[in-house]
Amino acid sequence: MVESGRDSGSLVELRGVSKRFGGTVALEDIQFDVRRGEVHGLVGENGAGKSTLMRILSGIYTSYEGECLLGGQVIHLAGPADARHHGIGMVHQELSVIELLSVAENVFLGRQPLNRYGIVDWASMRARAHEYLNELGIDVPVNARLGTLPFGIRQMVEIAKVVFSGADIVILDEPTSALSHHETRRLFSLIRTLRDKGKSIVFISHLLDDVIEICDRITAFRNGRNVGTVEKGACDKRLLIEMMIGTDKHIKTVEQDAAVSLPPRSTAPVRLKVANLSRRGQFENVSFEVHAGEAVGLYGLMGAGHAAIGTCLFGLDPVDSGEIFIDGQKIKLSSPIRAKAAGIAYTPEDRRRSLVQTAEIFKNVTLPHLKRVLGPRMDWLIKSKRETEVAQQQIAELRIKADSPRRQVDTLSGGNQQKVVLGKWLCFPPKVMVLSEPTRGIDVAAKADIVEHVAQMKDKGLAIVVISNEPETIMAMSDRILAFSKGRVVAELADTVVTKASTMEII
Amino acid sequence: MADIDPAEGKAIAATADRGTSSSASLLQWARNEVRIIAPIITLIFLVVFFSLATTSFFSSRNVLNILEQSSLLVILATGVTMVLLVGQIDLSFANQATLIGVILTMITGAGYSPWVSIPVCLLLGSVIGLTNGFFTAYRGVPAFMTTLAMLQITDGWAIYMTGGRPLFTVPPILDFLGNRKTGPIPNVVMMGLLVAAIAHFVLTYTRLGRYIYMVGGSPEAARVSGVNVKLINCVVFVICGFTAALYGLLATGRLSSAQPGTYASVMVDGLAGVVLGGTSLFGGVGGMLYTIIGSIIYVVLSNGLNMMAIDIYIKTLATGIVLLFAVVFNVYLQQLARER
Repeated sequence: MVESGRDSGSLVELRGVSKRFGGTVALEDIQFDVRRGEVHGLVGENGAGKSTLMRILSGIYTSYEGECLLGGQVIHLAGPADARHHGIGMVHQELSVIELLSVAENVFLGRQPLNRYGIVDWASMRARAHEYLNELGIDVPVNARLGTLPFGIRQMVEIAKVVFSGADIVILDEPTSALSHHETRRLFSLIRTLRDKGKSIVFISHLLDDVIEICDRITAFRNGRNVGTVEKGACDKRLLIEMMIGTDKHIKTVEQDAAVSLPPRSTAPVRLKVANLSRRGQFENVSFEVHAGEAVGLYGLMGAGHAAIGTCLFGLDPVDSGEIFIDGQKIKLSSPIRAKAAGIAYTPEDRRRSLVQTAEIFKNVTLPHLKRVLGPRMDWLIKSKRETEVAQQQIAELRIKADSPRRQVDTLSGGNQQKVVLGKWLCFPPKVMVLSEPTRGIDVAAKADIVEHVAQMKDKGLAIVVISNEPETIMAMSDRILAFSKGRVVAELADTVVTKASTMEII
Repeated sequence: MADIDPAEGKAIAATADRGTSSSASLLQWARNEVRIIAPIITLIFLVVFFSLATTSFFSSRNVLNILEQSSLLVILATGVTMVLLVGQIDLSFANQATLIGVILTMITGAGYSPWVSIPVCLLLGSVIGLTNGFFTAYRGVPAFMTTLAMLQITDGWAIYMTGGRPLFTVPPILDFLGNRKTGPIPNVVMMGLLVAAIAHFVLTYTRLGRYIYMVGGSPEAARVSGVNVKLINCVVFVICGFTAALYGLLATGRLSSAQPGTYASVMVDGLAGVVLGGTSLFGGVGGMLYTIIGSIIYVVLSNGLNMMAIDIYIKTLATGIVLLFAVVFNVYLQQLARER
């Protein structure tokens, strides 16, 4: 490696670290080191072990195999407070700054300077905060209440706070995924300032362009193993993707990166038309069409805005501007009740929250269309026989593993719960089906069943919108793919051959 | 284990398995049904205890008295049950009942027939409930605050109109419903059974009832299923206002008078009746059967303590402690259900 002139000794080093949860191995025999004054990138797919490593370093997981060295000394962190005490700071995607307090108060949180009467010395606190933030190149009024400032500024204040409280190594988790281009530039200049002051940064991100730009070295994780560390300049996006998903000879490449050919554009009539939809802070000017019998995948990383389109289409969140049409008719997006009446169905990414866990399967299945199930005559009267028949039909069609429709939902596995969520909407098929993360965290067999069901829905002429952060999910279900980044559609893939690597590369 | 024949070993294991599994399944059943078993056992315990500890508890006169009081409490607790089932709270129902009593006597005193005064009172109760429901469901004010304000409003309204004086113009029909018997059965018991039966039917056999349970079980799940969660939240307050008004009418009939402040203490009774029965404080679980048992427990408890001729202040203290245990148990059951 090339000596960069900075002190190249390791500040933190992990030697042979493994972490198991019951029978699952989250990390296996990890070698990892961060040098003084470097920006070290950490990349890998969801579940590759990045978060586990991060939690060990920040003292959240205290039991693991192997050794953790800090400045050459073996240490064992007792908890998050101990990690901070050792100079390891962490900035999560969800910031922990307090929005009701001022910038200065946040920087000095828990260590406000006191005057001789034991009262907070405001003048000194403001002056010092101002001086300190200036030094880092953060230009922000220290008296401003933090909640009134944009996310990018709040994030920088949090980083400044972490460094100010004595951190030598700052772990940043997905710092740029919610930032605009301009904000990213500003954050990078802060990171460079900190690096030049001898601080070390661990930069964890899915946004490979950002990682390549800012990091001095990059380590890739795959399935709980460190697959290699590369120097800046010695890598490009394709190499990182290959390291992450494993297109090397040792892994069964066909399975890992099978090519999927997307069909030519559908000629069926347009079912769903979305025109110039915007929601502040989420997405901007999004337009697309979905034809009858077509599935369109909205793909992007967390925070790219595609997930918010799902909640807005179903009327759960309001939009600022834009229109949607179903079969040419304009729909008002004001509430789930209206969306349902207009023929839109939606399955949220969070299964647990979309089912009444303590209720039986049949009560959940009939909930969206209870009036229609019980009607048309005396639709106010419960008819459990009819309800269980409707639920039984969904259990059979979706192959839900349950002996009876009267089984309580919380006794089902994740995959079967997800099928119940689908079944809720399929007893009276809608015109448009919006599926948010339909296969997250469920087993392979259930995944295959759901993919098959989406195909059946297409045959019935439904317009389907699949929303996911996982390229596999998108590729398995979609006829056309819209790639999102920072709230905008950046690419449309249709009538072409895609692979996981090529899909990941466009965002 | 090494010298045991594998087949035999298996047989032994199987027998042991059966033995533990039948007791385990009994335990499992008790665990699942603890929400209803616990109140029933409590009730039996209290009845046995007071029968042994006092001489007059089990007299036919006292039993009838307990039934009458429980019936009245069940009527009041019906609306409270619905409010708790969706996961909300109402603190104003007791003062609503007082206000309705006052208004009834005033309308009657002005010369109107009960065919006017009673419907007007029931309608007014529902409108007060609707006000609670509107601000809670459609304006997002926490139910605790909406109904706390309503408690003060209804209380103040009653005091203002009467100047704090009792009023005695009660129509005969309410005396009939509140104090008389038809055959051997007190009319108020019939009323209680009727209200409980209707409420049970609504909760168990109607779409509205299903929505109440589902919204209480998970408001978020109901919302993403396109259920009108706000409407359901609002409706339960209307029902609560209606049953509070009905209670106010019958109780006024029983006392033959109305006076501000009469039923302020009844707020605890109504909530206690529901919670002692085992309806969850977090919504989604419970119902009228629970509330009937809970109301009887509460009446038996306070009646039995009266019979024991102990200091009246000790009585309030004791019921408070019992209530605290019941609430702790209620929360514990919720945690148990979540763990499963």
